[in-house]
Amino acid sequence: MTDSKSPSFFAENWEIGPIFRALLRNKVGAMLIALQIAFTMTIVVNAIYIIVERSDKMQRPSGIDEANSFYISSVGFSHDFNSLVTTQEDLNLIRSLDGVIDAVQINAVPLSGSGWSMSLQTQPGTEFDGTGTAVYMIDEHGLNSLDVALVAGENFSPTDIQTRQSSQTHWPDKVIITLAMANRLFPDEGLAALGKTVYINDIEPMIITGIVDQLQAPWVGWDNVENVMLTPEIRDAKSSRYFVRTKPGQRDRVMNEVESQLAKSNSGRILRDMRSVEGTRLRAYRDNSAMISILVTVMTILVIVTGLGIVGLASFSVNQRKKQIGTRRALGASQLSIVRYFMLENFLISSAGVVIGAALTIVLNIVLVDAFSLDPIAWYYIPLGMVALWLVGQLAVFGPARKAANIAPALATRSV
Amino acid sequence: MLTMKDIKKIYRTDSIETHALRDFNLHVNEGDFVAVTGPSGSGKTTFLNIAGLLETFEEGRFELDGVDISHQNDAARSRLRNQKIGFVFQSFNLIPDLNLFDNVDVPLRYRGFSRQERKKRIEHNLEMVGLGNRMKHLPAQLSGGQQQRVAIARALAGEPRFLLADEPTGNLDSSMAQSVMALLKDINANGTTIIMVTHDAGLATQANRNIHVSDGKVSEKAMSLSPEAAQFKPSQHKRVVGLSE
Ligand SMILES: Nc1ncnc2c1ncn2[C@@H]1O[C@H](COP(=O)(O)OP(=O)(O)OP(=O)(O)O)[C@@H](O)[C@H]1O
Ligand SMILES: [Mg+2]
Repeated sequence: MTDSKSPSFFAENWEIGPIFRALLRNKVGAMLIALQIAFTMTIVVNAIYIIVERSDKMQRPSGIDEANSFYISSVGFSHDFNSLVTTQEDLNLIRSLDGVIDAVQINAVPLSGSGWSMSLQTQPGTEFDGTGTAVYMIDEHGLNSLDVALVAGENFSPTDIQTRQSSQTHWPDKVIITLAMANRLFPDEGLAALGKTVYINDIEPMIITGIVDQLQAPWVGWDNVENVMLTPEIRDAKSSRYFVRTKPGQRDRVMNEVESQLAKSNSGRILRDMRSVEGTRLRAYRDNSAMISILVTVMTILVIVTGLGIVGLASFSVNQRKKQIGTRRALGASQLSIVRYFMLENFLISSAGVVIGAALTIVLNIVLVDAFSLDPIAWYYIPLGMVALWLVGQLAVFGPARKAANIAPALATRSV
Repeated sequence: MLTMKDIKKIYRTDSIETHALRDFNLHVNEGDFVAVTGPSGSGKTTFLNIAGLLETFEEGRFELDGVDISHQNDAARSRLRNQKIGFVFQSFNLIPDLNLFDNVDVPLRYRGFSRQERKKRIEHNLEMVGLGNRMKHLPAQLSGGQQQRVAIARALAGEPRFLLADEPTGNLDSSMAQSVMALLKDINANGTTIIMVTHDAGLATQANRNIHVSDGKVSEKAMSLSPEAAQFKPSQHKRVVGLSE
C-alpha cells in the first residue's frame, strides 16, 4: 500500500540548495562560526606543521648509542698533576670496569651544544673555500665507544694517535669523516672519497682513511649537523672528558661506579659534569619540547572552543527552529532527514570556513617561513586540515542535530 | 478511508493525567469532507494529531488507508505522513527563511521526487492557489490568506489521500477564511478526503459531514451546533480548561 519508491539518497534531495539559501538569510551567526573555523584551521595547521618539523628534527639520530652512553670530565689542579698519565690511567681503569664496553677521551660530545669546528677543503690554498665541520679527537677506541660504524676504510691504529698540546695548531695527517661530509666535499662520489686528500688550515693535507655512516656534530640547530671529522689525537690538557659506552641497562650503575673509582684513584683532580647522553638530548631539545607543548595546548584549546561554539550555535538554532522542525516532521521528514539537515548546514558553514582557512593558512605560513626561515608548508597539510576541521564541525553538530531529530512532530500543531 | 476504534489517548505530566481521547470511534470514507467542532480542550487537535500520525495513542485500533498504524515505527510513520497526508495548520507554519517555491518543495524532497517532477508539482500547485507569480517571495511578504494558500499548496503537492487541517481559518478574517474554504471545497471535489477542525459554525456547515467532539468522544451531529461552540469567535478564542482534566 505504501509508495514503492523510498526516499532517494541522492544529493538532489539533500536540501543543499534550500539550506544554502536559508543560510544566506541568517548570515551573521554562520559567518562568525565560519570565521572561527577558518581561524582555528589557520592556527592548527601551522602549529602541526611546526610540531612535525620540530619533532622530525628531534627524531634525527645522533649516530651514537644514546641509551647506554655517558660522559664525565676530570680537571686536574695539583702541582704534580700529569695530564697524559692520568688520562691513560683513567681510561684503563674505566675500560676494565664490569659493564663498560669501551671508553675514550673526547673533546666534545654530540647533542651537547659545545664543541670544536674546523674547515676542510679539497684543494690547498687560501683562495679556496672550505666546508665547515665539527671535530672529535679520539684514539683507536673512539669508534667503538661512540658506536659508529665504518662504511669504508679502517679505524685508527694505536700508532696513529698523536698527542695534542693545548696551543698546538697543526693536525694529524689522517682523518675519518662522516658519509655526509664525504658527499659534501666530493659531491656524488660517496665512498670514493676514501683515500683522497683534504686540506685543513688551508694547506695542511689529511688523508681520508675512513668513512663512518652517521655521526652528529654537537650543535643540533646547525643545518650541516652531520658534517663531522674524527682525528687520531689524545689531548694533553688538565681538563679531560671521558665518553663511556656501557652494556645495555648498566649505564646508571656504571656511572656511579666510574665516578667513585675515579675519585678514589687520583685526588689531584676534581670530577664534574657527569651526564648521560639521554639527559644531554633532553637539554638539547628542551626549547623544542617546550614549544611543542605550548602549541599542542593552544591547538587543543582552540579546537575545543571552536567545537563548543558550533555546539552552541547549533543548539541555539535548534531551539529557535523547534516549530519549523516539528512542521518538517509533520510534512514527512524522518529523524534521519532532520539530523542530515543540521549536519549538511554545518558542512556548508564549515566549507566556507575551511576555504577561508586554507587561504589564511598559506598567508600565515608565508609569514612564519619568512620570520623563522622554515621550509614552506607541504601542500597536503591544507586538505588534511580542511578535512580535520570538517570532522570537528560534524562531530560538534551531531549532538544538537540528534536533539533536533527528537523534537516531537506534534509541535507543529501544539506550538503557537 | 480512515477508521478509529476505541482510541484512548492519555497525556501524563508530572502529577496530572489528562484523558484527551477516550473510546474515540470514527470512520471516514474516501472523499469525505469532515468538519470537526467541539469545545476547547475537548480533544480535537489530539484526534487530528493521531489521525495525522504526529502522535501515538495508548489503546485502540487505527487503520489509515488499510494500514494498521499501531505497530509502525517512527520512520514508517514519517513515510506514511509524507505520502498519504497533507497538513494545514492554524498558523500556516511556513518556513520563514524559504521562499514559496522552496516551502512547497519541502515535502517533495522527503518524497524523493526528481528535480523536474518537483518543479512541475510546485509550479502547478502554487498556480492552483493563485500564487504562481510569487514563487520567489518570502512568506513574510504575503498576507495571512496568501500564506495559508501556500500551506495548502505545500500540503497538496505530494497528492495525499488526506488533508488534515487544524483551524485553517483561525487566523484569517472572514473573507479570507471564505476563500480558503472555497479552495478546500475545490480540493475535496477533486477527490481528496478532508478533515478540518474549526470553531466557525458557518464554515462547518459547508462540509458534507460534521462531527462534534466533547470530552474526548465523538458525537455525530446533523447541522446544528452546540451553543457553546457556536458562540466562539476565532479572534476571542482562548484556551479553556478541558472537561476531562
Ligand atoms: N502535550 C500535552 N500534555 C498534556 N496535556 C495535553 C497536551 N496536549 C493536549 N493536552 C490536553 O489534552 C486535552 C485535549 O487537548 P486538545 O488540544 O486536543 O484540545 P482541542 O479540542 O484541540 O482544544 P482547542 O479547541 O483549544 O484547540 C486538553 O485538556 C489539553 O490540555
Ligand atoms: Mg486544538
